[in-house]
Amino acid sequence: MKEKFNVIGKPVIRQDGKAKVTGQAKFADDYKFPNTLFGVMVRTKSTHAIIKNIDYSEIENDKNIVTIIDASDIKGAKKTGLIRKDQPVFAFDKIVTPGDVVAMLVGVDVDELRILAKKVKIELEELPSLTDPEKSLDPDSPLIHPEFNTNLVVHHPLRKGDIEKGFNESDYIIEQTYTTPHIEHAYIEPECVTAIPLEGDKGIYIIGSIQNPFTVRRIVAEVLNFPLNKVRVEQAELGGSFGGKDDIMCILSARASIAALKTKRPVKIKYTREESILESYKRHPYRMHYKVGYTKEGKIKAMKIDILADAGAYCSMTPYVTWRSVVQATGPYEIENVWTDVRAVYTNNPYTGAMRGFGSPQIVFAQESLMDDIAVSLGLTPDEIRRINGYRYGSITASGQRLENHDVNLMKVLDTACEATNFREKWLENEKHHNRRIPTIEFKDEIINKNLILSDREFVEPEDTWKKGIGLAISFRGSSLGAEGIDAAAAYLSIQSDGSAYLLCGLAENGQGMKTAYSIIVSEILGIPVENIYYLELTTAHIPDSGPTVASRSTVMGGGAVKNASEILRKRFEDFLRSQWQLTEDDLIVFENNKIYVKGKEKFSLSFSEFTALAYKKGICLASIGWYPGPKIHWDEKVGQGKAYFTYVYGAQVAEVRVNIVTGEVYIDKITAVHDPGKVINLLGALGQVYGGVTQGAGYAIFEELSKQNGFPQELNFDQYLIPTSKDVGEIVPIFIEGKDEFGPWGAKSLGEPTLELTSAAINNAIRNAVGERYFNLPVNLEEVILKRKLRPGDIQRGSL
Amino acid sequence: MKKNKILKKIKLRFTLNGEPVELETLPNKRLLDLLRDDLNLTGTKEGCSIGECGACTVIVNDKAVNSCLMLAGEINGSAIITIEGISQNGNLHPLQENFLKFGAVQCGFCIPGMILSAYALLNKNRRPDEETIKEAIAGNLCRCTGYKQIIEAIKNTKL
Amino acid sequence: MIPKLNYVAPLSLKRTLKILSENKKKAKILAGGTDILPGFHINSKRFRDIELLVDIKKIGELKLIKEFKDRVEIGACVTFSQICESDTFKKFFPLLVKSAETVGSVQIRNRATVVGNCVNNAPCADSVPPLLVYDAKIEIQSLKRKRVISLQKFLIKPYSTALKKNEVVTKIIIPKPDPDFKGDFYKLGRRRAVAISRISLALLLKKKAGIIDELRIASGAVTPIGARLHELEKFAKDKKADSSTFKELSILMGKKVLQITGLRWSSEYKLPVLQQVFYQLLEKVNEEE
Repeated sequence: MKEKFNVIGKPVIRQDGKAKVTGQAKFADDYKFPNTLFGVMVRTKSTHAIIKNIDYSEIENDKNIVTIIDASDIKGAKKTGLIRKDQPVFAFDKIVTPGDVVAMLVGVDVDELRILAKKVKIELEELPSLTDPEKSLDPDSPLIHPEFNTNLVVHHPLRKGDIEKGFNESDYIIEQTYTTPHIEHAYIEPECVTAIPLEGDKGIYIIGSIQNPFTVRRIVAEVLNFPLNKVRVEQAELGGSFGGKDDIMCILSARASIAALKTKRPVKIKYTREESILESYKRHPYRMHYKVGYTKEGKIKAMKIDILADAGAYCSMTPYVTWRSVVQATGPYEIENVWTDVRAVYTNNPYTGAMRGFGSPQIVFAQESLMDDIAVSLGLTPDEIRRINGYRYGSITASGQRLENHDVNLMKVLDTACEATNFREKWLENEKHHNRRIPTIEFKDEIINKNLILSDREFVEPEDTWKKGIGLAISFRGSSLGAEGIDAAAAYLSIQSDGSAYLLCGLAENGQGMKTAYSIIVSEILGIPVENIYYLELTTAHIPDSGPTVASRSTVMGGGAVKNASEILRKRFEDFLRSQWQLTEDDLIVFENNKIYVKGKEKFSLSFSEFTALAYKKGICLASIGWYPGPKIHWDEKVGQGKAYFTYVYGAQVAEVRVNIVTGEVYIDKITAVHDPGKVINLLGALGQVYGGVTQGAGYAIFEELSKQNGFPQELNFDQYLIPTSKDVGEIVPIFIEGKDEFGPWGAKSLGEPTLELTSAAINNAIRNAVGERYFNLPVNLEEVILKRKLRPGDIQRGSL
Repeated sequence: MKKNKILKKIKLRFTLNGEPVELETLPNKRLLDLLRDDLNLTGTKEGCSIGECGACTVIVNDKAVNSCLMLAGEINGSAIITIEGISQNGNLHPLQENFLKFGAVQCGFCIPGMILSAYALLNKNRRPDEETIKEAIAGNLCRCTGYKQIIEAIKNTKL
Repeated sequence: MIPKLNYVAPLSLKRTLKILSENKKKAKILAGGTDILPGFHINSKRFRDIELLVDIKKIGELKLIKEFKDRVEIGACVTFSQICESDTFKKFFPLLVKSAETVGSVQIRNRATVVGNCVNNAPCADSVPPLLVYDAKIEIQSLKRKRVISLQKFLIKPYSTALKKNEVVTKIIIPKPDPDFKGDFYKLGRRRAVAISRISLALLLKKKAGIIDELRIASGAVTPIGARLHELEKFAKDKKADSSTFKELSILMGKKVLQITGLRWSSEYKLPVLQQVFYQLLEKVNEEE
């Protein structure tokens, strides 16, 4: 395996950077087409209802209305979905969640259309709403989608060993329940798409803030009843996604396309922040019950896990999200006896789907918090309990997979994180200072006024107010899709006769820096400078479908395809040169620094552009299509056993915090993030993934939460849905341990999601270390710290508005 | 109720990225829309419409402001700088160079506003400390980068 | 979306007042705009029917901070950024500077005005508690007359003030406090920047030989509108400035706020925390020399 690199692993400036820092980069709303119409949505105020009638009579003759689109305009599928076809493009039979759209008004003046949208009369028969997932499976609960006869979306069982035997062999048993809330992706760019009817019968062209153009193409084609080749989808520069611009963009693209074909004019849909938060999907709330048996030495003998996920009103990616949870729910620990059930259910809440982490942030929060409590119960330190149980090379996972063919670096990341932070010493020191716990106030069913008034003894002196804590969390994570989906990717590389190049992969840039990483791979193999590579705009017409940019798979899969395309050309070029220069097989041809030469025979040397000019003249094909199929994996759905993912990555994070025991404020002073992503392709990009992922994880830990009232999201904009600012997270120290792996380009694997999944658990453990209290419910916000529960306003008022 | 409202167009004179501009526009237009729609300067972004995210930040009379919270009329007689106006003679501004060099850009949607907040800061304070930098960009939300490389880029910019 | 409205920017106060008197019901003053424009966006009832915005930022005199021997005046268009940067305010009204520094973001502070903060009268208005403890007064002008009232009287109930449709607040007048006053401003938010106040407190303390000579207390976000707590102030007078008095005061604060607001969804958290942070603030100010 190649060990010395020219470009790989070094800091490389993003190729799309210059356009972005000058404001020239074109995001979806920056595209303007002549004669464009705009679409404005018509919604109800209902959470769950039967639609009896929609009456447009008051507005249909208004001069501002060019046309009105609803389900009756759909020629193909009226309901779509990436896994299960349960989501209507326009609601026509039922309203199942407040974000539902029954119609779209199309015209020129958006402001006027917004006023008119309120005048559509929708006759509804209200149904009882179901917003508590715990009640979804009750026999007397309403069915959200009666056609499925149950509110159960999916059930993933996992059975390993003999759970009862495991508990019998245990000295101690601990049982805990954790919960996590709905989380908004909070990409800074709200959804926007334009659909343009093409001339003749060429079909439709769609450009927008689209995470996965091929997915959008599939859904739009189904809705329009078009062949795939007549739906051309292009990705504009994407203003953040984090998994969030998938299903919603399919639906918006379909709506815009129907209207564009009907009016024969471009139709643009641009969401306000409020519409975006109201209608788009979220990260799943989980309720997680863990029962763990362990010996007095700290060896975990049995783990029984029961998880309930709120899928909301539509299935979306729920079966895959929860599948990752079932694979990883035990954490990176070798446990003989495991019994896991992960269920996801329909409710009338906002629907939930893919979001960075994809079923792991929830379970890592629960299970890594729990590990600390086990350690404390035995008088062990958090790192000790993890060393006793953590994966090594050859360990068997909960799903019965033997960890092999790659460096199982769990202990290495753990040790590195502990050493870098002086973890054990600090942790033990903080544990001594629990004498002053949070003055928790307990209430019965009714609040008794006098409890709210402090007594003399309850006042905390200023010097006792802030408590320091340090906390640890570790994880393993399957790379790419795993057994959840078809996994393969394509890349197209075309060298021009002057030595410049076009590159395109079927995966889509989400802002993470994928294009640059791919260009680096080409540069490494062919010696072309990254700046001589033009990364083509992704449209579905120009490259094979490579599946979605999800699951931290772009480097491992797309990178594999780009490497393959580059190697095809390299082999072809070498063969040509060997005959041209009459070399033997032993001669080593080097491609580097925009040059090609034979090692030790310097007279055989060409600049890359001289070479391409020559090869072009000689009729050598300078283009290739690379393909990288994912390695084989298998899964037995009935017992949750099998080779779930072809490889794994490992991470450890240490959080250092200060907790104000009076107000419940948590200050995050430092996060040390140690990750084995395999080979680092672009150091600048890799660092950015850590900083960004940790910061999102910090928000998840201490303030992010989308609350609901009867299914309506309450925090509809950034004045209420708080994400971290520049001042909220202290130092972040990324450390990379580059493990070897036979898969991925030079063993490069995944980084985007592991960085996020650990942070909330590490912070929660640090808070416990600071104040001696365990918190079970995210976010650990002001009220949670002080009261151990959330408070909800009856009537939320927006800031100073 | 709201019938036959006649909107009186307003006349504006201001400088935009150093060039004098004279135009007429509707009185209920926001500065953000004036820039994006009337003047086709789409580097200024809309993220929240209520002054919370900072994606629409521009410079008005040397101060960073949210262009979603200003009406076009309010800029009459002012000097406006947008992201399109800070490169000099076709060269990137040192802040732009450093945003690239330090890996401060991911999706890029917040970046124009972020750079302009930093630009306003550095024009007032050439050597800001880290806390000052953080405060200067606290009104610019970024979901991708975690701000660290942005702060480094600003800290290392010498004007 | 911005309603269909017209915009004028008169160059004089007189012209402004004339326009207001001619368009009583439909006109609204525009200063910083940081409450009005977000209000338009969410179609807030408070701003929905505005037909004319009268921008007063072209009136030069309203943009000034004026210092006199005994007082300082804040013109109606003075922004929070101006306050943050003003040496006069740093010297005489540090609590107001501290509160101004916590308002929104730089972008907001560059536009938002102190007078606007008072006229909007949100429960969480950050500048109100400091202005209250400094005994600020509001000068109000109509075509016919000028009146000056105390800020506390000006603030009536959330989002409502004594300002009439034909009037303009021209300035806030703040008497320079006795230099023996020490004080502080405290704000608790959910986030470390750009946060709405959950609790805010302003405190001025004057001691004589360890005895509380005068204590001024104002709260924000815990009471329906920013308010002085005169009962507590009276209670404190002539008591020893020590922990036991401060605890008593804090308990009294809890009781008083509970009495004013009754039990609210947030009381379980806010009331105990209010007492604690108030106690700590008292201790902190007392320690200052």
